[in-house]
Amino acid sequence: MATVLDVQDIGISFGNNHVLKSLSLELKESEVLGVIGPNGAGKTVMLNILTGIMRPTKGQILFQGENITNLSTTERCRKGIGRTFQVPRPFEKMTVFENILVGSVYGDRKSEKEARVKALEIMELIGLTEKKGWFAGKLGLLDRKRLEIGRALASNPKVLLFDEVAGGLTESEVSDILGMVRMVKEQGISVIWIEHVLKTMREGTDRVLCIAEGRNVICGIPEEVMRSKEVHDVYLGADEE
Amino acid sequence: MIQLLASKPFKILNIKIIVLILIISIFLTLPLWSSEYIISVFVLIFLYMSLGQMWNLLAGYTGLVSLGQQIFIGLGGYSLAVITVLYQLPIALGIIVGGVISILFALIISQPIFKMRGDYFTIGTWIVAECLAVFFSVWTYVRGGLGFNIIAAYKLSTTDIYYMAVAMGLGSIALVYFLLRTKIGLALMAMRDNESAAETLGVELYKTKLKVFLIAAFVTGLTGGLLYLSIAYIQPRASFSITWTVAMVFIVIIGGIGTIEGPILGAFFFILIKQYLYNYPGISMIILGTVAILTILIAPKGIVGTLQERYGFEILSIRRR
Amino acid sequence: MQIIQSLLNGILLGGLYAMVALGMSLVFGIMKLTNIAHGDLIIVATYICMVMAVQFSGNLLLAVLITICFMMLIGFLLQTFLINKVLDKGPEPPLLVTFGISITLSNILLLVFGADARYIPNTLKTINIVNTEHFSISAIYLLNFIVAIVVICTLHYIMKNTFFGRSIRATADDVTTAELMGVNTKRIYSYTMCLAMVISSIAGLLVGMNYTYYPSTGTEYLIYAFGVVVIGGMGNQMGILLGGIILGIAQLMGAYFFGTGYQLLAGYLVLLIILTIRPQGILSKATRR
Ligand SMILES: Nc1ncnc2c1ncn2[C@@H]1O[C@H](COP(=O)(O)OP(=O)(O)OP(=O)(O)O)[C@@H](O)[C@H]1O
Ligand SMILES: [Mg+2]
Repeated sequence: MATVLDVQDIGISFGNNHVLKSLSLELKESEVLGVIGPNGAGKTVMLNILTGIMRPTKGQILFQGENITNLSTTERCRKGIGRTFQVPRPFEKMTVFENILVGSVYGDRKSEKEARVKALEIMELIGLTEKKGWFAGKLGLLDRKRLEIGRALASNPKVLLFDEVAGGLTESEVSDILGMVRMVKEQGISVIWIEHVLKTMREGTDRVLCIAEGRNVICGIPEEVMRSKEVHDVYLGADEE
Repeated sequence: MIQLLASKPFKILNIKIIVLILIISIFLTLPLWSSEYIISVFVLIFLYMSLGQMWNLLAGYTGLVSLGQQIFIGLGGYSLAVITVLYQLPIALGIIVGGVISILFALIISQPIFKMRGDYFTIGTWIVAECLAVFFSVWTYVRGGLGFNIIAAYKLSTTDIYYMAVAMGLGSIALVYFLLRTKIGLALMAMRDNESAAETLGVELYKTKLKVFLIAAFVTGLTGGLLYLSIAYIQPRASFSITWTVAMVFIVIIGGIGTIEGPILGAFFFILIKQYLYNYPGISMIILGTVAILTILIAPKGIVGTLQERYGFEILSIRRR
Repeated sequence: MQIIQSLLNGILLGGLYAMVALGMSLVFGIMKLTNIAHGDLIIVATYICMVMAVQFSGNLLLAVLITICFMMLIGFLLQTFLINKVLDKGPEPPLLVTFGISITLSNILLLVFGADARYIPNTLKTINIVNTEHFSISAIYLLNFIVAIVVICTLHYIMKNTFFGRSIRATADDVTTAELMGVNTKRIYSYTMCLAMVISSIAGLLVGMNYTYYPSTGTEYLIYAFGVVVIGGMGNQMGILLGGIILGIAQLMGAYFFGTGYQLLAGYLVLLIILTIRPQGILSKATRR
């Protein structure tokens, strides 16, 4: 299968805090790649680098073979990289419908007329049709996360980056999200999914990558990675699952 | 029951349109049945309404708190003066040149000024305005500190100026209303809520802000030209004075920042206080300053924003359904 | 050797600008507030000083002491009842409240004192301390510079070595932690404003002794102060002196090369250029990108 996203040896530091030292990963077509790692491992920073919000001090990022390391956030979105935020950032004073419209009008460069049709479809997919006219600020956590997924989907991405989309949710809500990730995958979109809850990772991903101390520790089939000594070492003493 | 539900929005829409037509026709026929003084007051109301709309578009919708909008008033006024006095060309040309020069100047200063963020942008714009005030005071081409008598303006009646002011005031409202309903409006709303999220969805922050900055410069420049038609005398210190922006800020703050109706109400309020205290200009500024501070403290959303919050109405809604 | 004279004057003038900027730098550093009323507060101090000087038949020292009391009171009230209330309401409200204060103050001055130019009479202006054939040093310019250095050193000492200074700095570093440790940050802000007003009162006196002023002069000094703070860097008192000197030299070089009409303009342009090159200002820590 073709590689969609090829991250080669990226690094970044904040002052003396060398958060990422050398991180590499490959994301294949229609693959869900789970990313685990202790708090502060630099998972969110990695997403920020992939979306261009932060610039790496070394390494490069290839998207469908093209070097996108120096592109702006906006340009990357238009190439087909979408994301959600660890703490959801819906446009609170806009309605659910308008939120999704932004993705479709700007991310997918549709005319507003086409975008409306698309937005209605997406609301159906993420199950927010009934709350179309709600202000996003009024939504609960699950709905916010749904909305962020929907908004990102509306920008017609090839790669979606999820930052703890299942974090803070109840068990039944998590299975809701799991279903949504499968739906995304079925549309041929590749996913990088950061999550702490290992059980969810086991069920929802094709491969899992563990990062710690700024490097990739191990990458492979979920079961194997989670049973591995490396992951055990990384999480030993940490209050994770 | 079903019938009732179906007809209700229709009726509201109808009433809205009727009221709108009524108001517009009152304003259009005003010179026919009211006094010269009232007309001249309304000239100011409409022109300041346009200034307020533009400042609101910048500060309320785009997050660009500029204290340098007097730049464009001055450029608009001086373009009018230079075109009509130095070159004896028609007034209309003077006004339009004012708008165009404003846009060009805005484009030039946008390069450095947009590198400044937040408070830096705010004071940076003000410094540019002060630079122009100083520069025009020593620039012999525009007669330095002497300024111009804009003689061409004497030929116009108050009624002529009134209709231009109405066009400017209502035009600015329509412009903001329709602008906010386009793609740009969608981007602005998103940026106002969360810039980084907007960016990851493909919104171009820089371009969008620049477009708004240029539009505001253009309209403020045109309005500046019209203002100097009614003032008829221009001089650098006054034309590039912060007082213009003070007016815009008060109009927007008191009326309600981030609403289209706010600056409309604010302009009425501002001009009425100003006229009422016409003989005590210092006092009126003190009162307006105090009212503005109190508004920010007590009702930060202004009159319109507070009413909207309490009663949930919107006359000019920019929501997409 | 006119150019040497201009350079020298520029450097000494830098002392005045540093004094003008010091209070603003303090306020910006501690509460991240760009106080648009800063220039007007200085001019208010200048007017009070002028009135007091008349009251005490030209005793400027006494005049400035009383001015300091007045200004501390004004600063305390403004901070406690207006600015503190909006500091945590996002970026625009504090900016606009201080803008409102600025407009109100300058118009109160206009109402009370009229629009005429004023100055604080003093003999220093006409005396030259040093007089060689190449250059001279005027007493007033030298005074600016010396006062600036004394005040800057004193402030430095207060911030480093007193409990008051340490709690101010703790608040500036981390509001949440300071609050957890029982520091009343709003109260600290009010005291900071008082301290800024002490400095600004002295600055106000110097402004009045050096130049004529009007009720609307505040804008000019706001811009100088802002510029110096940007050039010099926040919380760095020596930087403020450097910033003042750069601005002073820029102005006098502008006047030297293009004529006195361009003195102001040259200063403003240098500020704009620096603002452009250091878009965030030298004083703010780099954020993303
Ligand atoms: N803008 C920034 N400036 C300075 N340091 C930062 C910045 N962003 C992140 N860091 C640092 O980078 C490190 C990694 O942060 P990151 O948010 O990526 O962790 P994470 O792996 O997502 O952890 P979590 O599981 O808690 O979300 C942390 O030590 C953090 O302090
Ligand atoms: Mg994280």
